[in-house]
Amino acid sequence: MLIFATSDKGGTGRSVTSSNLLYRRALKGGDTAYLDFDFGSPTAPAIFEINDAVWGIKGGGLHSFLLGEVAEPRALDVWYESDRDALRGQPAGAGRLVLYPGDVGGGEFPSDDVIVERCTKLLMRMVEEYEFCLVDLSAGRSYAIDMVLAATADPKLAAVPCRWLVFHRWTRQHIIAAADLVFGDRGILDTGTVRGHDRERLSNAIRFVRTAVVDPNSAELAGLRAAQVAWLRDCNAALQRLAGRHRIGRTATLGSVPLDPVLQWREQLISDDDVALTQIANRATAEAFDGLAERLVDDAAWEGL
Amino acid sequence: MWIQPRQQLLEVWRAMARSAVPAGGWSWGGRHGRNSISDAEQLLCLLGPATEIPSFKLDQPDETADDVLDALAELGDSVEIPRLLVRRLTEYFSTYTDDSKTPVFSGGTYFAAASQVPPTAAQRALDVVDSFSVAIRLSLATIGFTRVFRTVVRRPDLVSEVDALESMASRRLSAAMVGLLRSFSVDVFDVGSPEGQALLETVNQQGLPTRQVVESLHRELRQVKAGVRDITLGSGQVTDIDNDNKLFQCGWSWGLVANAPKVDTTADVGEQRDGVAQSAPYLYFTVVALDCIRNLFSERTRLLGLLDEEQNRLSRSLQLRWDLTQSYWSKVGRFGSGRWPLEDLPWRTVDKVDSDYLSLLVTSIVVQDLTRGQPTESEVQRVGEVLAELAQRARITRRPLFNDPALALHSPGFRLALEGTEAAGGERLHWLVADFSPLLLKQTVLVAQLLRHIELRGQVVTLADRTWEHLRARRFTSGQYLHLWDQTPGAAADQDVQLPSWYYTERVVESLIAAAGLVGTAPLRSQALAGYATDLLAEADHLFDQELLSVSAEAGPAMSAALHGARSTLRRAHELMGNRPGTAAVLAAEVLRELDRLAAARQKATGPA
Ligand SMILES: Nc1ncnc2c1ncn2[C@@H]1O[C@H](COP(=O)(O)OP(=O)(O)O)[C@@H](O)[C@H]1O
Ligand SMILES: [Mg+2]
Repeated sequence: MLIFATSDKGGTGRSVTSSNLLYRRALKGGDTAYLDFDFGSPTAPAIFEINDAVWGIKGGGLHSFLLGEVAEPRALDVWYESDRDALRGQPAGAGRLVLYPGDVGGGEFPSDDVIVERCTKLLMRMVEEYEFCLVDLSAGRSYAIDMVLAATADPKLAAVPCRWLVFHRWTRQHIIAAADLVFGDRGILDTGTVRGHDRERLSNAIRFVRTAVVDPNSAELAGLRAAQVAWLRDCNAALQRLAGRHRIGRTATLGSVPLDPVLQWREQLISDDDVALTQIANRATAEAFDGLAERLVDDAAWEGL
Repeated sequence: MWIQPRQQLLEVWRAMARSAVPAGGWSWGGRHGRNSISDAEQLLCLLGPATEIPSFKLDQPDETADDVLDALAELGDSVEIPRLLVRRLTEYFSTYTDDSKTPVFSGGTYFAAASQVPPTAAQRALDVVDSFSVAIRLSLATIGFTRVFRTVVRRPDLVSEVDALESMASRRLSAAMVGLLRSFSVDVFDVGSPEGQALLETVNQQGLPTRQVVESLHRELRQVKAGVRDITLGSGQVTDIDNDNKLFQCGWSWGLVANAPKVDTTADVGEQRDGVAQSAPYLYFTVVALDCIRNLFSERTRLLGLLDEEQNRLSRSLQLRWDLTQSYWSKVGRFGSGRWPLEDLPWRTVDKVDSDYLSLLVTSIVVQDLTRGQPTESEVQRVGEVLAELAQRARITRRPLFNDPALALHSPGFRLALEGTEAAGGERLHWLVADFSPLLLKQTVLVAQLLRHIELRGQVVTLADRTWEHLRARRFTSGQYLHLWDQTPGAAADQDVQLPSWYYTERVVESLIAAAGLVGTAPLRSQALAGYATDLLAEADHLFDQELLSVSAEAGPAMSAALHGARSTLRRAHELMGNRPGTAAVLAAEVLRELDRLAAARQKATGPA
């Protein structure tokens, strides 16, 4: 299965949430790969704590591969290369977790037919080797989106299930922007249709993920005054309606991740130890990632109405 | 009010979801097994609140409230729940349609045998007014649900599923309306007959001469009689009603009336079966029918356009009967200038059956009639007092005696002999109704809503609270059916009793919906409180202006913050004056105290002026 992660704005939590989601998937078994196509600002190595690659690797990354400079993109096995103790060593029953980083200083580049062809080949190889392959695309209407839409429209990839996740924060601006990225002018659906996708089918393969959401009913807000909670609840209800109007209401949502103190300070994976042992992260956050990982593969959640 | 309708309804939903889990998401049946009424009641426990209270709606997944989803989490998420409803409703409508595509309205396992002889299959298959009535409510709720739900559905297979459901519901609705038109009865009898005498005895509370009572009864019922003459469709067409020597009563029998003419209709209702029911109104079925017919011309039904053209035509015929029956019983129940017949507990029917339950039924018709007009405060109050007395007599607000016969009203309930059932072979069957408490609660809430006087309303609300306490105590307190109804005290040892009664639970849900309606209205506005608030606010305004006069602009940030706060508070108080004088008064008082703090401090500094 191919999973494409995108968002309209940067800093929405796309990379952190996708990484955690994939990590949870790997823990449940099944080999997984993370392809960092975010050519503007690669953060995945930092999240997986592979220190040598924190700024991207020098040559041999995904950029070099797509530009035809190398025949093979570099692969970093997180269970072996991570500098974080908790991640080292493949847990029993877990699948592989492999990161394909971008290059240092590799920026955006327009795609052409040759590059699309290389991308198609890469994706075909990935699906062969891994059960889940997540592609972290950059923010906004990017060349990367256009490239993978073109690649997945290729008949060679027609039989491969593709799912799109659009990440957005839970605010007015983010809701409107996320909806626009998908449904708006030259948005994902428009671009996809131009590239030869069936609009309805593509639309059914897209779900939204709300990140860093403050739940007005949560126990964490016990410190707030009653009036503040009352206000928050009203705001939340107004946002629900706004989202519904922009067609990214509950039906189109795969899940939401609560605001987490750890993630607010640091981009990282939330392990079960962070929740149970050291208790630095909230249980609800880990559960949210786990739920996302479950629903990602649950056909009922993608059936829609 | 101590009843918290929203919380309680959510608790019922949570209980339903929990009880369905071991059975894989849904299990039909319950204490009385499956039949066309019980299954519909079970569905209405979900669909009723979902269609009648906006914050409980389930038809737009994007807007389902969080606490609602939380309560139903065991049944699925916001997308799965409406789909589950579509599947279960479809299952219901096809289960109760026979091979010839005729909707089935049989009483089935709700028929009770009078003796050891079980009802025959032909008897169980008899159509019952309870089923027509619940079909009307369920079909309307279903059609309203599908209309909205379809707008969010995109998948072609789901769209056709939803469309098919809607047309099944619509067909059942038409058939139920025709059924009700053929179960209506106008029962005419001589003044001198036992029935005539019994009716006169009931209405003659002042001990007036018979001639005089008959005359004024004719006068009171003139309009009703004129209306009865207009009946041209279905059963209840009579000729001899104008005779001065005749009296009559009207309402619904228990099922299709024997020899009821077929209704000429273009609606696809399948076969119109022959009836066997006695042509005489039964108070219980009359109330049930009145209650559902009201939904046919409710605001919701009209706004959403739930009826098609032919259904609108049938609905007008039913509305005529509804009007007549409502006025008839309301006039008879409140006949005369002194004590009302209704106040003379218990009510006695013309065939000499008396029970407090019958009094409650007549009360409920009177309450409905009062909500149509503009009743005086004292009329409503008198009805409220009847309800209070009924609650005492039924041991809801009084402790029962040892072996109290009054408890039979709750369990096993009030027994109705269904005259005519023997025509289908077997012995005459019975119908057991045990919904005294939920019916009482619903009427109490409606009466409270009619009262304008704060203290009177307070008394009636207290009665509602105490009735609710009684109902709460009858929920299951443990096991798979926790928080569903009905656990009758002392009957716990019986295995069958451990299953929930959808009949009872649905009626409780209905009364909670009524209570939600009461909570939703604006608070009563007290004249005294409004006057007090006006005066308080005037003083606060004035002192505030004075303060502004005396303080120079550069009084410093603390001072200007205090004055700014006072100004905002006053503005808010003025805004609230119209609807919430109590709140406005408290806000004005807050400002007065703040201003006085400044004045007192100043006085300290300068000494008494
Ligand atoms: N659930 C969350 N709670 C708090 N902070 C979060 C959460 N998810 C992400 N963040 C933080 O938001 C910032 C942006 O996240 P990132 O994944 O880099 O965004 P993107 O990839 O969309 O640019 C990071 O600092 C990250 O730690
Ligand atoms: Mg990123």
